[in-house]
Amino acid sequence: MKILIVDDSSTMRRIIINTLSRIGYTDVVEGENGKSGLEKLGQGGVEMIITDWNMPEMDGLEFVKTVRGQNSAIPILMVTTNAAKEDIVEALQAGVNNYVVKPFTPETLKEKIESLLG
Amino acid sequence: MDQSEIDALLAGGGKAPKKPKVAAKATPLAEPAPAPASSASASAEPHKDGAGHVISELDTVTSVTERESNKVMDQLDQISRLVSRQQQLVTDMMRHEGAQSPGVQKAIHEVMSASKEIQDKVFEAMDLMQFQDITRQKLERIVHHLRQIHDYIVDLLGTGLKSDSERPSISHTIAQTGTTPDENKAHADAVIEAFKSQKKG
Repeated sequence: MKILIVDDSSTMRRIIINTLSRIGYTDVVEGENGKSGLEKLGQGGVEMIITDWNMPEMDGLEFVKTVRGQNSAIPILMVTTNAAKEDIVEALQAGVNNYVVKPFTPETLKEKIESLLG
Repeated sequence: MDQSEIDALLAGGGKAPKKPKVAAKATPLAEPAPAPASSASASAEPHKDGAGHVISELDTVTSVTERESNKVMDQLDQISRLVSRQQQLVTDMMRHEGAQSPGVQKAIHEVMSASKEIQDKVFEAMDLMQFQDITRQKLERIVHHLRQIHDYIVDLLGTGLKSDSERPSISHTIAQTGTTPDENKAHADAVIEAFKSQKKG
């Protein structure tokens, strides 16, 4: 299963990739903002997206809205520092399927991914 | 008050120096760094003095900490690979004819157990590196507010250059410093549940 990780922090992308590999997901593509995320998505084969919110050029919310605007039902998990209730609701309204606030534990990420794929 | 005085004030100085002394003070963190893909350094370019210096200094801090965090991650990756190699060697050793006595087998199991513990600690350390991204976003928020103050003063006095409009999106409400991952999860899950119930109802 190919997972697209969109985050402008290379450290965070490595942490997520590392966590995914520990739970058995090793087919990963990376984007450093929404724009490059859309490019990677356009290359095909992506079955799940894990995206940050705050990124330059195109942020995660705009990215999610664009993906949903293309009528894509691909599961999207937002992993962000934005912790306010209004932010979480805004992301869900934009089409995010689930939401993780940083810092997170590997168990949380695993649980959320499995719930999305379940 | 002219622009250089405003800039100096924002930079934390009192009187405006003609050539800001702060710019000459190179701290270890201020060494030239490769252009970060993820920071606001490009947008800080128009500022050369005062507030601009503070902003670009903060940008440098974020890019340098990201670079150094990646070096730590490289080291942790290497430790992880070495531990995996060690585990493979010990597994091979277990199958060796000369290692079949109960005493040797017990010792080998102890080595394997210690090795797994090291691997778990390495993964734990990698997860803890999330602090870098969270700190970076907090600094970006400070830079954002500094730019707002800078532009407000420029507007007020009708002098000087405003910061450029191209800025990365910033986090408005970062989880409070010190909140645990479990607290973050419980909070997010509660909001998601409430949202889902509201949608159903």
